[in-house]
Amino acid sequence: MKNIKKSFGSNVVLKNVSITINDGEICALIGENGAGKSTLMNILGGVVKMDSGEIYINGKKVEFNNPSDSLNSGIAFIHQELNLINDLPIYENMFLGREIRNKRGRLDLEKMIEETKNVFKEINVDLNPKTMVRDLDASYKQIVEICRAIMMNASVIIMDEPTTSLTEPEIKRVFKMMRTLRDRGVGIIFISHKLNEVMEICERYMVLRDGKLVAEGMVKFITPDDLARYMVGYDVFTDRFLRRHELGEEVLRVEKLTHAHAFRDISFSVRKGEILGVTGLLGDGRSELFQAIFGAEDIQSGKIFLEGKEIKIHSTEQALQKGIGYLPKNRKENGILKDMNIIENASIVTWPMFSKRGVIDSSKHKDIFQKQVKSLRIKLNKITDNINNLSGGNQQKVVLAKWLSANPKVLILDNPTQGVDVGAKEDIYDIISELAKKNMAIIVLSSEAQEIIRICDRALIMFHGVLQGEVSGTTMNEHDIMRLATGGELSAVQRGEQ
Amino acid sequence: MKWFKEKWNDEPVFSIAIAFLIMVILQTIVLGFDYDSFGSWFTSWINNWINILRNNAGVGIMALGMTFVIISGGIDLAVGSTLVATGAVIMMLIDTGPKGILGGIGLTGVPAYVITIILAIILGYLLGTGIGLLITKGKIPPFIATLGAMKIFRSVTQHFMQGYNPTVPTSFLQISSFRIGTLMPMPIIYWLIIAAILYYVSNRTIFGRQVIAVGSNEKAARLSGVNVERVKRRVYSLMGVLVAIAAIIQVSRIGSMDFANAGSGNEMDAIAAAVVGGTSMSGGRGTIIGTVFGMLIIAVMNNLLNLFGVPPFLREAFKGFIVVCAVLLQKKEKS
Repeated sequence: MKNIKKSFGSNVVLKNVSITINDGEICALIGENGAGKSTLMNILGGVVKMDSGEIYINGKKVEFNNPSDSLNSGIAFIHQELNLINDLPIYENMFLGREIRNKRGRLDLEKMIEETKNVFKEINVDLNPKTMVRDLDASYKQIVEICRAIMMNASVIIMDEPTTSLTEPEIKRVFKMMRTLRDRGVGIIFISHKLNEVMEICERYMVLRDGKLVAEGMVKFITPDDLARYMVGYDVFTDRFLRRHELGEEVLRVEKLTHAHAFRDISFSVRKGEILGVTGLLGDGRSELFQAIFGAEDIQSGKIFLEGKEIKIHSTEQALQKGIGYLPKNRKENGILKDMNIIENASIVTWPMFSKRGVIDSSKHKDIFQKQVKSLRIKLNKITDNINNLSGGNQQKVVLAKWLSANPKVLILDNPTQGVDVGAKEDIYDIISELAKKNMAIIVLSSEAQEIIRICDRALIMFHGVLQGEVSGTTMNEHDIMRLATGGELSAVQRGEQ
Repeated sequence: MKWFKEKWNDEPVFSIAIAFLIMVILQTIVLGFDYDSFGSWFTSWINNWINILRNNAGVGIMALGMTFVIISGGIDLAVGSTLVATGAVIMMLIDTGPKGILGGIGLTGVPAYVITIILAIILGYLLGTGIGLLITKGKIPPFIATLGAMKIFRSVTQHFMQGYNPTVPTSFLQISSFRIGTLMPMPIIYWLIIAAILYYVSNRTIFGRQVIAVGSNEKAARLSGVNVERVKRRVYSLMGVLVAIAAIIQVSRIGSMDFANAGSGNEMDAIAAAVVGGTSMSGGRGTIIGTVFGMLIIAVMNNLLNLFGVPPFLREAFKGFIVVCAVLLQKKEKS
């Protein structure tokens, strides 16, 4: 790709970017949200048209007007949101849009199954083509997409953050697959925010910042800190611990909470000014647990106490009124109101609080949000722009802002730094520690052990719906967390008891 | 020109208003200037307009409610049948014949009308709330719930109104036929007042904004502490109230009601008006002003077809054409 330029309106997203991808290599494309990675890849994938520039494949100039042009040239784009249909079996997904028909025009199921099997055999995938996609876990879905790309003879595969929704063993599986492909001569572009993954799987890296290629080279000559610095343009402290602070009295206590299937017998408590981490692997039930506490899921049995008094919560509205806030994971699905503007997205929670006889006090909301724009360092043009005009990190800050203005007693943050770039991540950590200093009780749900260790005072580890253990203080380490998260136990010494 | 282009791109209602303006100009030209003086031309132009709007005020009011329903991500197929059901109850209440309910207990005149109007609105509210409960508590898709309600309301009304032809007192007709000068603009006034109120509700109140939030992303709205079920239920309750008002206008405008056919097709006309006005069927987007223009466009078009002498059976085809064209012209959301 040579001299690619692209702007949306007055917003220049790509300023003269040139990149090369070789056969048989895994190349990382990294950069903060809004750096232009997705746009660049969308151009390569034929989703977006460039303003100027040239694309060459094997030395031949090509032009893409739509995704199928790009696919025909051997470029497969595996999006973050997978393009599979859950209600069809694997083999039909593999042939979606290019179904094999027999002479009478009917679908030739046997042949499709056969060819799917061949591809699976070729690259050592152990899957039954007749399995329904619904029954696959996220990593196998990813693998099915990759197999589809191979079946279409892709020479370049773009993978947009393939590991975000995967658990550790699943990531291993996908990585193994990627290496197999690399050895077969496929070029892979790996887009990720997880720098240690980049270090592990990639040979080469390219860093985009503000629409420009700011650094590229071989991964073996650099450290994750270097990468982080290239991405943000200044030094980032990746190992800073937050200062410990005094804890107040207990705010929220949960006793033997049980759900129909997601979790059972959960008891814990959290105190004022405390940052409590909750982690575990996929399927641990932590999101369901805290959604239940927030009134978005039904509880079968158990008790919830807020400031010593038992409360019954049947709706999210009640939870909000009682002073419990919940920032959901998966911003796009659960956090963003795509048809509404920034200020409305930032004030939906507080509409009922700042209003008179059902009429929203919009000037008050504006005042509050203007202050938050400053304190959260939200980068935006006009507060009445559509929320989609913001980058992912800023969208996340807006979603966070709506809860901050409600000033809850307990704030539950589910994967607060998901899909957020390094700079915004640091901002969010700062905000969390500020809130804790102001005596809010904060519960951080995260799948990243490092994140938990960095910001939390104490952490609960869940495994398949039960509370597997607890770690706290300076003795927290990734090893212990991982052991608990995979169903193991800690000895008394490891628990810090004497 | 630049101003125009920006407005066209940024304000969805702008393009709809322009479309309406073009149709009005077209209609004015077709009406012709074949009059003695400007004054008489103007009077006839105004009269034509009052007629158009009067005939469409009822559906126009229902279209306003439909806008809320569609924005919330739902649909209401039962409006025509709710109209007949409330219409029937109104007529039973004010019947001057021996079976008239209020007449039977000695209530006549203005007090009877006031009670009738209040009861009609309560009935509309209850029917709407019932539908809302089916959808929220019963978790039935809105299409199915309102399809069921549509069949039930009309069938039950027809059964009980068999061979019963209530007489509406002529003074009740004043509600719609009160003259200001030589004009009878009351239904239009009701329509505009309700549109103004709902415009305010949609833009300034918690309920109005929560409706958009729920239609835009139900999950996100719930996780922001919005009581999604209550918002949805209220949307259908509001629809019911508006249908009851439309029924009062209908009864007082015509003085009778054909229980088999009255209001049938109203649901589709209301949906058409909302859609032409820029309301997205997938929820989350739509405006009250847009729907008012949508209704006006459809109304003017009906009038034009009349003036052009298009055969009656073909008119529905034009209506369909307009709806499809309007959606074709609207900016599509990129996926």
